[in-house]
Parts: sequence; C-alpha cells; structure tokens
Amino acid sequence: MWERTLQDLIRGLRANKNDESKFIAQAIEEIRREVRSKDMELKAAAILKMTFLDMLGYDLSWADFNIIEVMSSTKYHLKTVGYLAASQSFSERTDVLMLTTNLLKKDLSSNPADVALALNGLSHFVTPDLARDLTQELNAMLNHSRAHIRKRVILALFKVIQQHPETLPFCLPRLIEKLDDPDFSVVSSTVNLFCELSRRNPQDFLSLAPPLFHILTTSSNNWMLIKVIKLFGAISPYEPRLAKKLQGPITDLIQTTAAISLLYECVHTCIIGGMLDGSDGLALARLCVNKLSTFLENDDQNLKYIALMAMVKIVPVRPELVAEHQAVILSSLDDLDMSIRMRALELISSMVTPYNLQYLVQQLLSHLVKANQTSSTPSAQATLAQALQSDGQSTSGISLYTPAYRQEISSRIIDMCSRNMYENVQDFDWYLSVLLDLIYIANVDIAAMICDQLVNVAVRVRASRAYAVQLMAKLLDDDGIVLGANDPTKCTGVLWAAAWICGEYSETVLTRLIQPSISLLSSDIIAVYIQATLKVLSRWTYDLAEGWSNEQLKSAKETVDAVLTGLNPLCCHADMEVQERAANAAQLVTLIHADLSTFQPKPFVETPQQDAYLTGFEDPTPQTNDFPKSLLLLRRFFNSYKLRPVAVNANKQVPIPAGLNLDSWITAPPKRALDEDVRERKKKKKSKKGKEKAESTAERVNEGLSKGYVEYNEDEEEAAQRRAERLARQRDDPYYLTDAPKSKSVGSPDVDSIPVVRLEGMPSLSALTPPRPSSRLSDVQPPPAHKHFELDRDEETPAHLAVASSPATRPGTPLTEAEIPSGLETPDAIVVKRAKKKGTGKRKTPVPPL
Amino acid sequence: MIHSVLIFNTSGTPRLIKFYTPLRSPELATVIPQKIFKLISSRPPGACNFLDVPDLDMTSQLNIASNDRICVVYRNYATLYFVFVIDGGESELGILDLIQVFVESLDKAFRNVCELDLVFHFDEVHAILAEIVQGGLVLETNVAEISQMVEEGFKARKASYAAANPLSLSGGVMGGSSRGGNSNVSSPLSSLQTPIGWLTERITGLNAR
Repeated sequence: MWERTLQDLIRGLRANKNDESKFIAQAIEEIRREVRSKDMELKAAAILKMTFLDMLGYDLSWADFNIIEVMSSTKYHLKTVGYLAASQSFSERTDVLMLTTNLLKKDLSSNPADVALALNGLSHFVTPDLARDLTQELNAMLNHSRAHIRKRVILALFKVIQQHPETLPFCLPRLIEKLDDPDFSVVSSTVNLFCELSRRNPQDFLSLAPPLFHILTTSSNNWMLIKVIKLFGAISPYEPRLAKKLQGPITDLIQTTAAISLLYECVHTCIIGGMLDGSDGLALARLCVNKLSTFLENDDQNLKYIALMAMVKIVPVRPELVAEHQAVILSSLDDLDMSIRMRALELISSMVTPYNLQYLVQQLLSHLVKANQTSSTPSAQATLAQALQSDGQSTSGISLYTPAYRQEISSRIIDMCSRNMYENVQDFDWYLSVLLDLIYIANVDIAAMICDQLVNVAVRVRASRAYAVQLMAKLLDDDGIVLGANDPTKCTGVLWAAAWICGEYSETVLTRLIQPSISLLSSDIIAVYIQATLKVLSRWTYDLAEGWSNEQLKSAKETVDAVLTGLNPLCCHADMEVQERAANAAQLVTLIHADLSTFQPKPFVETPQQDAYLTGFEDPTPQTNDFPKSLLLLRRFFNSYKLRPVAVNANKQVPIPAGLNLDSWITAPPKRALDEDVRERKKKKKSKKGKEKAESTAERVNEGLSKGYVEYNEDEEEAAQRRAERLARQRDDPYYLTDAPKSKSVGSPDVDSIPVVRLEGMPSLSALTPPRPSSRLSDVQPPPAHKHFELDRDEETPAHLAVASSPATRPGTPLTEAEIPSGLETPDAIVVKRAKKKGTGKRKTPVPPL
Repeated sequence: MIHSVLIFNTSGTPRLIKFYTPLRSPELATVIPQKIFKLISSRPPGACNFLDVPDLDMTSQLNIASNDRICVVYRNYATLYFVFVIDGGESELGILDLIQVFVESLDKAFRNVCELDLVFHFDEVHAILAEIVQGGLVLETNVAEISQMVEEGFKARKASYAAANPLSLSGGVMGGSSRGGNSNVSSPLSSLQTPIGWLTERITGLNAR
C-alpha cells in the first residue's frame, strides 16, 4: 500500500506543471477513496491534501462529513487537520455543522491545546445554533486560568455575538471585568472586541467609558490606544459630556505621539466629538494640520497616504487650515501611486468652495487629459516601473490610469459641482461647458451621469437654457459621437439628454433630429429623438401659424415632408417602443401633411379674403390670418403644462384619498399553505396510483397543513372543523391505518377504483364536514361547486386540455358525478377565488400519463 | 476587522488563502486573490503599501455592510506578497506592522523561511496565523509570545504523532517534512533572525534545495 502524502502531492504538482488538471483529477480520485478509509491517519492525510487543493480553487464541500470525523479524532495532530479543513471550507450553510455541537462542547472542556483549537475553529464556522448552545460554556471560560485561552474566548465571542446577539448581555459583566485583566494581551483583546462591536451599535457601550478612560490615560501601547480611541470615537456622539473629558488626554496624545496612525485616530475622534470647534479647537486643529502637513511631504508614501486621509476628516470643520496646503495636495495628484492619487482626489473634492471650484475643476480636468494621454502611450517611467514589477504578461492590460480611475475623476468633478444642489457653482454656462469637455475627454462611459446633470441644469437654470441648447445642438451634429454608438467610451448616451433638451427648448434643430444616421443609436435614444422631433415641430408649426404668410407654405411642406421621410423608416424599427412612437408621430405628421396639401388652393381664396369680404368664409374673425389649422395640432400635446423638477419627497405629500387603506389586503393574504394543500393532495393521489410513497410524508404534510392553517385560523371552531376534515381524509386514505372499516379499498391494486371508493364515502363525509370557509373569504358564499368549475374551465384552460383530461382524472365516471366528490375534497369556499389555480392544477395532473 | 489574509508569490500562485468573512459565493475565494494580485503587481515601485483603487470592489464580494471602506494592506517580501484585507475598524499602519509580526513569526518557526516552506507546510502556516489572528480579530502582536505558542502547538502535535505511531523514526507531523529532515522545524526558536537575513538567505536557499 502506498499513499500519497501532502508532500508527495505538492511535489507531484510541481513536477506536472504542464498537465496539472489531469494530475489533480487523479489526486482527487485518490482522496475520495482514502477519505472513506477506516484508518484515521489516512483519512486525515487525505483531508489535508484536500485542504491544500481547496486553496487552489478545488471544491472541498463534498467532504464535509469526513472533516467532522477527523475533527472528532482524539489525537491532537489529527484533530488540527480536521479543524483546519473545517475553518477553510465550512460556512454557515454547511448543514453538517449541527453535528458539531457536542464535539465542540467536549473540546472546549478538554486540555488547553484542544480548547484553543476549538475556539479558533468556532470563530470561523459558528452558526446561530452553535452560538446559542455554547454561550454558557464560553461565558464560564472567560475566567479560564490561562491568559491564552481567555483571549481566544474573548475574540471568539465576537463571531458568536454576531450570530446570536443575546450572548452579549449575558457575557457583558465578565467582559467588562476583563478590561483590567492582569494579562496585557487579554485587555487588548477585550478592547479589540468592544471596538468591533461598537461599530455596529455604539450606544450599548457607553458604560465602558470609565475603564476605557483609565486605559487611555495609562497605556502606552499604540496598538491598544488606537483601538481605545476608535472606540471613543464611536461612542462619543451618544454622550456629549465624553468629548469634554477626552479633550485633555487626546490633546496630549496629539502633541506627543510620533505615530501617525494614532494621530489619525485622534483627529478622527476629535472631529466626531466636536473638539476642533471654537477658539480652543482652532489651536488644536492647527496643531493637527501642521503635524499632518509634515507627513504630506514625507518620502514615506504610507505616511503621505494616511495624512491625506486625515486631512479629509479635518476639511469639513476647518477648511481654511487645509486650504493652506492646497499646492502640496494638488501636486500629489501627479503621484505615480494610484492609492495616493485616490486620496488626493477625495481631499480635493472635499475642499471645494464657490471661490476655488473653477480652479480645482480645471486642475482635475487637466489631470484627466493627462490620464488619457498616459493610458494610450504610457510614459517611459511608468513602462519601466511595470516592466520591473512583473513579468509582463499579467499586467499588460493595466495602465497607470485605468478606466475605473478616469471614471472616478469624472464622478468627482461632477460631485464637486453638483453637491448640495449646486451650492458651489456660480456660473452655469461654465458648468455646462465642463460637462461637455468631460464627454470628450473622460474616455469612459459616464453618459448616464452627464445626462442627469445636463437635464437637471437645463430644467433648473432658465438663464442657461439658450446656451445649453446651443451646446446640445453641437453634440447632435457631432458625427464622432453618433457613430461611436457601439463604443461606450464615446458616451453616445449623452445624445439622450441632448435630444431631450433640444426637444424641450430649441426651435431650430429639426433636421439633426431626423437624419438617417440616428438608426445607429440605441432604441431608447431614438425614442427620445422622435419625441423631440415632435416637440420641436410643434413649436415650429405654432410659430408658423402665428405669423402665417402664404409664401411659407412651400417651406412648411418641405419641412413636414422631411420629417415624414425621416420617421417612416423608424416605423418598422426592431424595437417596440421606437416603432410605436414613430408610428404615432408619423400619423400626426401625416395629418399635418394632408392638411397642408389640401390647403394649397386656399392662397387664391385667402388673398382676396384679406382685401375684402368676397367669400363667405367661416372664419369669424377676419382680422386673423388664415392658416392651415393643423399647424396648431401638435401644440396641445406638449405645451399645455410647464415642466418643473419634482421634489424628492413630492410623492409623500400626495394625500391618501379618504377610504383608501394601504395596509389592507387587496386580495386574500398569501395562501401558501393552501397551495401546498392542493399540491400535497396531488402527491397523495399519485401515491395512491401505485407510486410507493411513504405515508409518513403524507402524514407530515397533513400535520404541516394543519399547522399552516392554524395561522389563518380565527376561531377554534374552524380548527375543529379542519381537524375533523383531516381525520375524514385520513380515513379515506387507503394507506392510512385507522379503525374505520375500509373493506373495499385496502390493498386494492386497481388504481382506477380509488375514486370510486371516495364516491362511496362521499355522502356521509359531506354531512360530517361542512364546507370550510377560508378565513378571509368566509363571507363569500359560494354557489354550487360544479357550476364554478365549469365556468373557470371555459375561462382559464385551453378547451382541448380540459376535454382531454377530464376523463383521465376520473375514468369511467360521469363528469357531473365526479364533480361532487372533488368539490368536497377541496374546500368549497376556496373554490370561488382559487378556482383558477385549482382548476388548472386539477387538469394538469393527468397530463403526464397521457 | 480583518476580512482576509492572503499570501501569494510574485507570479500569482496562492500560498495561503484565508477568509474571515463569508464570501458571497465560493468561487470568489480564488477570484479575489487573483484580482488583488493583478492590481498589486502592476503598482510602481516605491508606492505605498495600501491598495486603494477604484477597480477593486470588495464590498460587493464580501458579505459586509456596503458603507464600510475596505482597504487592502500588502507587503512584498522577496518572492512573496503578504496581503491583509481590512475594514475601517483596523488601522492601516497597524496592520502593516502586523504583517511584519507575521513574517517574523514565520521566520522564527521555520528558521529562515522561504517560499518553499510555505508551500510544503501550509498547515503550519495556518497554525502560525491562528496564533496571530483569530476570526478576523488580532489575537497577539508580540512575536516572542506567538512563537512560544506556535512551538507549544508543534510539540503537542509531535507528541501526539509519536504516540500514535510508536515505530516512526522521525517526529514528522502529518506526513513528515521535506526540508532536509525535521531539524529546521523541530527547533523553531533556535535563533533570532531578522527579515533581511532570511531575505538574502532565501535566494541562496532556494537554489540549494
């Protein structure tokens, strides 16, 4: 017998580099065999190999049970293997975990090595059930004699509390004691635990403030201080007095510490506690900023990174202090390191004021242009850096300025401008031109963002509309964008906004909207184009009508002709929406067209009419010019209401009409249990038909059903009825042992005979069980059952199915007769509303045999 | 908390994968390291040790609240990348120190650790990591303390193995050791080595094996 050890497996993998998958397939085959072995050593070795393969991405979940076997070994070296495999592959979804409760309990009361192992394992795969069952043990173990175990218990409690929050109040008294444990690392672990827990619900930990304050003033360990200060940062918003008390120690720390990580946390906590406000705060804030700015210029990139992050925190409180360092911060934008650039971007975007917005945006835009250039032709330095860093193939796709980064810059620019309802923008024409620039230089798909901004500005800023239309007309004319429809980096999507804005506010872009090349665009944009065309046309025709003169007839006809020819091909566009809109629009335009055509003779009539009342024209007001009336046709469609932005909470302010209760059920509540009822009865039927289904399932189902019903039950009487009915059904069931005599049906192999048996039992049963009302529909009195059956058969099921299936369901029985028992079998009251489901269900059952 | 600890070499082969937070789907356990590796290995030299790029969207892959900022802290030692994925509950610089602690502990346990040690003793590496981080929270930061616990664990396994296999000559754990007998592993605390020491050792050591 020769078995591969883990080492052999790894050696084999390294030897078979070119044919790895075959080798691994073979190895897994071996493992599958070995895992079933009786020899625990062999089994454990197999599990260890499997754990290794799991790291390489091969599925380990099939071995769950074997892992537990190995975990339960009494030999420590095997147990470690089991726990390792478990911590790597088990998750909350692993169902065998419920088998581990006792194992864990045993291991937790074993020798320290086992306990440590179990605790480490537990924090990986704890489930709510395990957490609940082990709470007692863990709480007791908080006073374990060994510090090593104590800290492991404390950390394990974190995951346990996450899964089972009730553990926290139970263990809290002892956990607080652990804050002055003689062992330093136990205290550290406890602080760590509280720090993590306080991130979720800080207000629970206010009582910890005194002992934590003690640690803060006495400890000199940075690791712990960071955690304590984080913890204070989390809880101080809930206790205003805390900030005052913390001010002294934190100021001391800021003054003395050389560690930027601690400084960062202090700054963060200061800001949350409002310690930088007021004149006292100013000195402290200045101290912070000065310290941070030295880090900004530090050669160590890590310090620079943290300094930038800390600055972001200070900006909202003391923008003027950070602004002093604007030049350094802007220069970090050119850093080779993207992490630094990201933080610099964040900082810059938070530094915006109305006065520096244009400057900062300009900086970012030029940075974006630079990013574009380098992405296509990387600088020598960047290329060299990449070549040094890797062996080429893995990074060839990644440049220094990735699309995601350019996207980030673009969204930052938009955010800087649009923040708080454009509070920083003073010149909206400038903003529109920035947006237009972005379209051309972003080189990533930001169309959706830009669209929102364009439309928003055009709608909200009346003064910029003319300029917006001008810009948008330029966009619509840009073939580069139209033709780039398949390239998302070209931002073709902005044409949506361009078309909409032109449609809404322009008079002159008609020809651009209906040029043939628009068929390249995506269908939702074409739809907007069509709509915009109509809108522009409506305005144009209205103006035409206002100042009508007969010389315009020709040009009017030409324009309408052009629109019509533009629309016609779109009437057979592949997209439904486009097709429909185009057809609608084309019909309307055709109307105008026809009117204009018939209008042709009128100029002769009209001219004399203007001179003198020679013709008896219907026009009541002779002063007004006569014009083709259809020119006013479109006006009504688009200009009746003013379009205004909708407030975010406008919807909430719509009063609820009297008599409308939004909480009440429109139809009856979900009848999951009832549907199951039908399904289960079908199943039962099948089992009667010879499929040897265990009655136990049916029984369980019956029980489940009755449980399900209880939820909807409103009174005991109904429950009694149901119970009686269930009993009746059971008595009916040939496989159900009751004391009721069932001479004919029991043991009868003839499937067809079963419905007949039911028929026999019928009259007495109907007497026994009156129709069961569904709780919500009890007031609906059903007409006779069979009538409804027929009715919804006509409505719901295809006729051929109904005809074909009805004999199959109840062979040999006349339809009318068969209806009666089935009406009885399923509760009558429900038939009314649920007939659809039941009807089709009934008929579907027999289809497979056919 | 710490969401994940990863070790991979400079060509992207995983040497240790540990997730402390459940993943949205099991396949991500191999996808995430690959993605992180790709991003890290393309960074310029001298860049900071924090991977903070818009391309990496960890929150959508880990089962955590989306408002938490995820940061990847990594450090490169010779042919290996040590990567910690953390959230706002940890201090970035603190984790950077913790990586150093981890590496020093490995170095003590294996005596001049090299990549091959991690390959052939991946279970040992897990055991060492378990003395530093448990369930995503930092257990111990003191190298001496960690090494002591690691050694205790190793001895316990060796004793258990010896008891189960009275005839076995070497005190190997689970299939023995590959590194020129067990002398390295069985005396993990024999000398204090600086990381620089094992860096240089590694290059010569790899060839020697």
